[in-house]
Amino acid sequence: MNFDTRKYVIITFIIVVGIIYTLRLFYMQVIDDSWALRAQEIAEKRLEISPPRGAVYDRNGVKIVSNRTYYNLMMCEADIKNLDTVAFAKLIGWDVKRVRARFKEIVKGEGKYYNKHTGKTTPNYQKIRKYPFLKEMTLDEIANIAAHLEEFPGFKEEVTSMRSYPFASGANIFGYISEVYREEIDADPFYKAGDNMGRAGIERFYEKELRGQKGIRYIVTSAMNNDVEPYMNGKYDTIAKQGPNLNLGIDIELQAYGEKLLKGKRGCIVAIEPATGEILTLVSAPSFDPNLLVGKRNIGKNYPALANDPDKPLYPRPLAAQYPPGSVFKLLQSLIALQEGVITPEFGAPCNKGVVGCHNHPGAGTLADGIKFSCNPYFYAVTKRIIQQGKSKNNFVDAEMGLRKWAEYMHSFGLGYKFDSDITGLTSGLIPDPEYYDKWYGHHRWAFSTIRSISIGQGEVQLTPLQMANVGAMIANKGWFYTPHFVKSIGKKGPLPQFKKRHITMVEARHFDAIQEGMRRVVHEDGGTGRQARHKDYITCGKTGTVENKPKKDHSVFLAFAPMNKPKISIVVFIENAGFGGTWAAPIAGLMIEKYLKGTITDTVKERRILDFNIY
Amino acid sequence: MRQGEKITSNIDWPLLAVFLLLMLMGLATVYATAYNPEAPNLFDFSQKYGKQVVWLVVSLFLGLLVLLIDADIYRKFATPIYIFTVILLVVVLFMPAKFGARAWLGIGSLGIQPAEFAKIGTALLLARYISSVNIKLQNLQTVYIANLIILVPMVLILLQPDAGTFVVYTSFLFVMYREGITYDPLVLKLVNLIPGIKFKQTWVGSHFIPIMFAVVFLCLATLLVSNNVIKFDFLPGVEIPGFVGVVLSLVAFALFSLFFLRYIGSKRDRKNALIIVIFGFALCLIISTSVNYLFQNLARHQKERIELFLGLREDPDGDDYNRNRAMAAVGSGGLLGKGYNKASVSSVESNHVPESETDFIFCPFAEEWGFVGTFILVCLYMFMLFRIIMIAERQRSRFVRVYAYTVAMILFYHFAVNIGMDIGFAPVIGIPLPFFSYGGSSMMSFSMFMFILLKLDSQRSYILQ
Repeated sequence: MNFDTRKYVIITFIIVVGIIYTLRLFYMQVIDDSWALRAQEIAEKRLEISPPRGAVYDRNGVKIVSNRTYYNLMMCEADIKNLDTVAFAKLIGWDVKRVRARFKEIVKGEGKYYNKHTGKTTPNYQKIRKYPFLKEMTLDEIANIAAHLEEFPGFKEEVTSMRSYPFASGANIFGYISEVYREEIDADPFYKAGDNMGRAGIERFYEKELRGQKGIRYIVTSAMNNDVEPYMNGKYDTIAKQGPNLNLGIDIELQAYGEKLLKGKRGCIVAIEPATGEILTLVSAPSFDPNLLVGKRNIGKNYPALANDPDKPLYPRPLAAQYPPGSVFKLLQSLIALQEGVITPEFGAPCNKGVVGCHNHPGAGTLADGIKFSCNPYFYAVTKRIIQQGKSKNNFVDAEMGLRKWAEYMHSFGLGYKFDSDITGLTSGLIPDPEYYDKWYGHHRWAFSTIRSISIGQGEVQLTPLQMANVGAMIANKGWFYTPHFVKSIGKKGPLPQFKKRHITMVEARHFDAIQEGMRRVVHEDGGTGRQARHKDYITCGKTGTVENKPKKDHSVFLAFAPMNKPKISIVVFIENAGFGGTWAAPIAGLMIEKYLKGTITDTVKERRILDFNIY
Repeated sequence: MRQGEKITSNIDWPLLAVFLLLMLMGLATVYATAYNPEAPNLFDFSQKYGKQVVWLVVSLFLGLLVLLIDADIYRKFATPIYIFTVILLVVVLFMPAKFGARAWLGIGSLGIQPAEFAKIGTALLLARYISSVNIKLQNLQTVYIANLIILVPMVLILLQPDAGTFVVYTSFLFVMYREGITYDPLVLKLVNLIPGIKFKQTWVGSHFIPIMFAVVFLCLATLLVSNNVIKFDFLPGVEIPGFVGVVLSLVAFALFSLFFLRYIGSKRDRKNALIIVIFGFALCLIISTSVNYLFQNLARHQKERIELFLGLREDPDGDDYNRNRAMAAVGSGGLLGKGYNKASVSSVESNHVPESETDFIFCPFAEEWGFVGTFILVCLYMFMLFRIIMIAERQRSRFVRVYAYTVAMILFYHFAVNIGMDIGFAPVIGIPLPFFSYGGSSMMSFSMFMFILLKLDSQRSYILQ
């Protein structure tokens, strides 16, 4: 019997095993990546290093938002050996009960994981992970503790960076940062538990820039969970990059001065550089020190008080509050009327108090006089000519056509819509159009006489203070403006292109001379309502407003720009319930302009009067 | 050595080359795996790679000795060599246990494992015995003696205990099968006990060994299927209990065979084949049923181990830790690997894969060189095995042929089981990867195996018996 053929059984067996093993290895190593993921899971640690946020500078290169180093005392339960709780409690200055309670709190709370798919919150505490036992300590606080930490294995200090505001001003501009929520972590893979995120203002709008780039280090860990070495010699590691600096148009000194002037009052100041649209100052009163909302400890302590304050310090008045503009609106009616050709600068009208109330003043023979005296009947007449141009014999149809045209003009002035800008929390204000009144009164059931209160900026019309300041800039520029914005440039790059687009209004430049002349008279001629804003060294153009706010006291408003020939600042001051515009708003605007153009205040008596004035 | 001959003449260079190449690759892998940055010198003898260098040199020196000595002595002294290694296996049982087994003979860190060398003694004696048997006149005595030669060291090794080497000894069964030493006399005797049956030869008996492996495979497949519920993607809601599935597939296979039989062979063949199919079907059914019954009645921990191996139960961080870590290391290598000395899972320092410089040495290699490396390694081993079989088949001496087959089968077993456990195809059994794993005993014994083969082969024109 010959058994030679049996060698083929053996050879076949070996070949089959060889082929199966090769295929299996190909599958495991090349096709299926689940084993590679498993290897990552067991042998690699991904360390994220968060860079400090980008700093913020004002228009003069002064650092106004910076970072300060704080320290967390981290705890890792797996490393804790024979903890002397009494000694530890003594070291951090707590009693033993509180230490134990904090420990339980961490186990229960810090590691909680909310699964949005199942809707369940499960404890995710792991003994081998680090958790902050004490948070956000200053160098002084940690110094004493750190010296003795070697006696307590499992506890280590860790550096963390938080915001710091050297000027204690501009809280409503900057916003604040706070820890991310679980939903935010789920929504953006950038964040992990304990990271901060911008909550309001430019911190929120420029979050993506300011947060910078995280550094990532991959570390090979051993079966005992010790660090062994950088994975692949750090081939895949990235360096943390701090976010770029933001350069704002804000003048921090002017901002601080504005906040000082508005102490004890409710209201706001907005100043814009007409030539660029950069916001110079944005004061909301009452205000608060932005340092109050730095870090979890402070936010926990101070936020509820700020949120519950009846004067709403967290509410950004200049951006969000919508007021009837009052007499300031008369400037815009004049511009539209001139462009439409329904009046000339020499147009005169009697002060007919039978139509609407007015104060005592000589009759206005020209447009400039009308503005100077802020004559209500005069602007009734002007606006009537805009709305009822007589293009249709039907009075109602005529009013609809007029108002539609009027609303178009108003939109071209930047009113009735939200600016597409880097400002969070903006509102749109309200410019009524025919459809708006149709809803109220019915189609073709209204005419100028129905809606006449818009002539003098009362009734349905609403503007935000920011829009009002922009109107000032637009008049100063004689017919165009840039979208008001905070940030001039990011990092070392040039001006932001989105704010370099000029908005041209529907009114030609030649019609602005008469308006500016009227505004000059308001401030610089005796009998003008804005005399309080006058300064001998330069010409200021202004317009007072007194907004009816029944049954409470009127709001005091003043809009101005200066100098007249080469405008550098356009400003609006809005003081709630302070009465006549010339009394409070005008002097404050005057002081602000002087501060910005001159740097110093000469009339300290006036300044004193303002500082001492308390509305509540 | 015969006069006028150099020791290098007639050496099979391809085999020697692949053997040396594997040795160097192994050393490089041991160096990278056990790398200690504080002692980076390869020849630092306090480190494992330094020691491995020593083992390598000693092995090659022993190999040189083997080449110098006339190969006749292995045939002549096969019995004394066998007895000597068996005595060592007995002596080692009285040594203190190390890592839970009495496997080490020696002082301090320098020790040898007699079980590794006993393979050589067993191979030589088995070769000598088989070459002296008249295959045509097999009787019960032949079967008993052949099995006794294997069983004695197997039992002694099991007493250590060393399950891995125990399993490796079953590779001798394949050699016996190749040479025609079968269990047929035993099977015949049993079958002929049945009244009215008088066989001279049975198919099952003469192919008993491959059939046995087929049965083991069948058992594993049965367990895997019968403990799952069979579902069909295209028939939602239809579920078949696993064991019913096993029976159904057996029936299907039998019917297919019958259908197939109609088209082949003569009428008589068909009749015989029909009997075989029916008999085979009944046998498979009995085996499946009984193995399933046995499995269900196993002790809990034994059952759990088998479940783990079959993937019926998952416990990656507990009982299945070793296999899970080893497979993660292999799989993370990717196509091109992480680069030499860059294993992150299986380096000794990170220590996720245990014994990564000895039994799990394939893991760091696979992790560092990726599929390209593992494919080349598998090819090298395949080449080596076929080269040895080729050498075996060109011998005139039956003794040398049998010996060559034992070398091939033992190497194949080590290769298949060692790599198999890193890719989930074999249970975790601690046996080294030949020429690769760190360790003196395995390195020396495999080298001796190889050099004796080379020497025997180089004298093939003189050795006739």
